[in-house]
Amino acid sequence: MILPVLAALLVATGVFLALRVAPVEAFQGEPYRILYIHVPSVVASYVAFTVTFVASVLYLWKRERRFDRVAYASAEIGQVFLTMVLLTGPIWGKPVWGTWWTWDARLTTALILWFIFAGYLMVRAWSGAQGTRTAAVIAIIGFLDIPLIHWSARLLRTLHPRPAVFRPEGPDLPSSMLLILMVNMAAFLLMYLALLRVRLGQERLRDRLLEERAL
Amino acid sequence: MGYVAAAYVSVGLLLAMYVWTLRARQRELARLLRQVKSP
Repeated sequence: MILPVLAALLVATGVFLALRVAPVEAFQGEPYRILYIHVPSVVASYVAFTVTFVASVLYLWKRERRFDRVAYASAEIGQVFLTMVLLTGPIWGKPVWGTWWTWDARLTTALILWFIFAGYLMVRAWSGAQGTRTAAVIAIIGFLDIPLIHWSARLLRTLHPRPAVFRPEGPDLPSSMLLILMVNMAAFLLMYLALLRVRLGQERLRDRLLEERAL
Repeated sequence: MGYVAAAYVSVGLLLAMYVWTLRARQRELARLLRQVKSP
């Protein structure tokens, strides 16, 4: 019970800091405040899909159900965070770029990742125990899209700006903004852990249910 | 400020919907388990 409460408190603190304390950005004005939920959602989804990738590889290798449970639980939460990214991105893009959406490399590869994991969740929902191996392969393919998304804005000409935080030269943000962004990243990662714990508990419960039914 | 509000509210709603789904699923699983265990 402590983890969800801590996550909720940290998210509330992060949102307060983002909306009330963070300074206004000189070029974008108020819309830049979307950064404080957009970037943490990206990071949380990357972490969730990385966990899914590792658990899927371990599942295909060891064939142990516990790895499959982690992969499924983390993929579902990752998809929620990725949906947040695809919601906040266009809302931020409209006032800053003048358009909700553009088919540039960054946005398109992110949308492809969303469709891959939508497919993953459909396989999980509709093919039961038979679909676990297929789903693991889809998760591994989906994960390979993440480096493409991250590097697309550096290597290709895109409307989306280059990464301002996770770059080899170090973060390119004033410390007053960076600190608040870090609080929000910690909040979103804690929220991911809290949701993962609940979701894993449900998968264990589902397994128990199947065992009881089989008896 | 309208765009900022739209972004924060949409993220909040999405999260609330997911938490609601998790709670509903939890209740359903607990109910099914009780049903299976009952003689």
